Amino acid sequence: MKLLYVLQIIIIQTTRLKMPQIGKPVLRLKFCLYFLFFNIAIAHAQPSTQAMLTKLNKSKPTIIALSPHIVEMLFDIGAGEQIIGTTEFSDHPEQAKDIPRIGNYIRLQLERIIELQPDLIIAWKSGTPSDDLARLTTLGFNIVYSQPNTFEDIASEIEYFAQLTGHSEKGKDLSSKFIADLNVIKTKYSTKPEITVFYELWSRPLTTIAKGSWPQQHLDICRANNPFKDVNSPYPQVNIEHVLQQPIALIIQPVSFNQKNREGFNWQDWLTIPAVKNNQIIKPDADALHRMTLRSLGELEKLCEEIDLVR
Amino acid sequence: MSKFSVKIFLLAILCLASTFAALTIGPASISTQELVSCLMGVCQNTVTEMVVWQVRLPRVLVGLVTGIGLACAGTILQNITRNPLADPYLFGIVSGAALGATVANITVANQLTIALPLAAFVGALSSVILVVVIAKALQRMEQLLLTGIAVSFMFHSITQFLLYLGDPFATNRVIFWLMGSLARVEMSNFYVISTILLFALVIIFALHRQIDALLLGDESAASLGVNVDKLRLAMLAICAALTATIVAYCGGIGFVGLMVPHIVRQVIGVTTVPLIIGSALIGGTFLLWVDVIARSALDSAEIPIGIITSAFGSIFFLLIMYRTRNNQEAR
Repeated sequence: MKLLYVLQIIIIQTTRLKMPQIGKPVLRLKFCLYFLFFNIAIAHAQPSTQAMLTKLNKSKPTIIALSPHIVEMLFDIGAGEQIIGTTEFSDHPEQAKDIPRIGNYIRLQLERIIELQPDLIIAWKSGTPSDDLARLTTLGFNIVYSQPNTFEDIASEIEYFAQLTGHSEKGKDLSSKFIADLNVIKTKYSTKPEITVFYELWSRPLTTIAKGSWPQQHLDICRANNPFKDVNSPYPQVNIEHVLQQPIALIIQPVSFNQKNREGFNWQDWLTIPAVKNNQIIKPDADALHRMTLRSLGELEKLCEEIDLVR
Repeated sequence: MSKFSVKIFLLAILCLASTFAALTIGPASISTQELVSCLMGVCQNTVTEMVVWQVRLPRVLVGLVTGIGLACAGTILQNITRNPLADPYLFGIVSGAALGATVANITVANQLTIALPLAAFVGALSSVILVVVIAKALQRMEQLLLTGIAVSFMFHSITQFLLYLGDPFATNRVIFWLMGSLARVEMSNFYVISTILLFALVIIFALHRQIDALLLGDESAASLGVNVDKLRLAMLAICAALTATIVAYCGGIGFVGLMVPHIVRQVIGVTTVPLIIGSALIGGTFLLWVDVIARSALDSAEIPIGIITSAFGSIFFLLIMYRTRNNQEAR
């Protein structure tokens, strides 16, 4: 990535990028190269803490946070008051509901963002519209990304965002405590015997999880065996016939606060499944379980305890 | 002044007024006075300058040329196939673009700014080329539409299979991309679409007599010295290039190419020149207002533009069916 930035700088320096000069073939080529590398660079870039702090040049920058988990992280580190805009579904903690909305995971309102003039934009790399982010970068906004794929990533992002927003100490404390608590849970369940579970992510069509999905690490830590772990798609749709062939001892049916009325799969029709026969179906809080924040650790612990009770 | 000239003059005024009105409406509050002075080169602050020049103006201009382009492509395709249901998208352009967009989303998710429009364009053109090759192999050029539908379904199934196997975020991105939007456009997109549109219009106007001859039937056109297959192929290529470019930048915006020519036939005329001029003015004006609704109907979000054009399109279609039924009963 550094190489891309170096190339970009070299091209800018040699081109002295002014539109009227882009007439000669060599300069046109340089302009194209600049455009190509610039776009690749902005798509990948996660600036270092020091580089971004220098750019921000403010102890308490104003922030636009482009996903619910980022808002939650910022409130955890004490930067909630600095958020001036966010996307829909940012509902935790309670104060987050009062932050002005400037779009959703489909589309951002560029005009509103320009109007708000945030010092810093924190985007969810895979969940925020990438074309909007590319436009915001070319318009000169400071953007950093969140992409937690593991529990450890949550800790490192908490620390990173805390440094950028002027809450370094609190970020370090939270991050260290989070890792310590995570290690306690990991150690506690690492020697437990495996138990086969079915994770019902969605009922119609019946959808579960596999390797590469966020909840799979929960099952790994709790020593729960997911019979569909090796399927190629991270969120595969499965046929009930596939489920019937497995010795499922527990069914996990997460329920979100926003989707309380969603109809779960009717397991009572399938009494041959040991979990159904023994009424071993649990319904953890999907919002806490699936959102990559400090809260997820508490939910992980609860999930492991409930799985342990069935073991 | 003839009746035709008056109608075109009024439509041109409406189109110009709509362009200016669309510039004044948006989530950022900018007064008309501020807007005018900013357009004259004297912006009150950098925020207004950025909103007007970097976001709103490119969006309105691309909306205008997109509406013109889709309506003109629809008009030409309906005339050369003599099929009132012909629409640029029936030739597999959107399904080809969707396949391209899906491949880009799955393979190069971090470089979508360049890769997505490029892949969508390649996909759209490949689809049209495949349609033409199959229709030629079957030696039934008049069945272009049916071939287009078959190829569309084929591309659609490949897309769905890839999405099923791929990253769920890619699925989201492709689904919402297909709904169409002008939010991602830049001034450079306006230059590209305008160039292709201008090129297409020049060729259409140069060949308008031959296209009109096609309305009389293939045999009559041939007897007038028109090479029917070559003309049909050339027009299809032009419409495909125009639509593929628009789809690559704006996603799937359905129904504009289908319904605008029908309105123009009722209001202005059926031969190529008045039909193209009328379709351009009504198509451009229509898409400008659809985009205004898309970006200002909801407080904190945007509605994908394809949803609104399809909603209008379906109601319009039902009205046409109702009117046709009434006309038949009257006879």
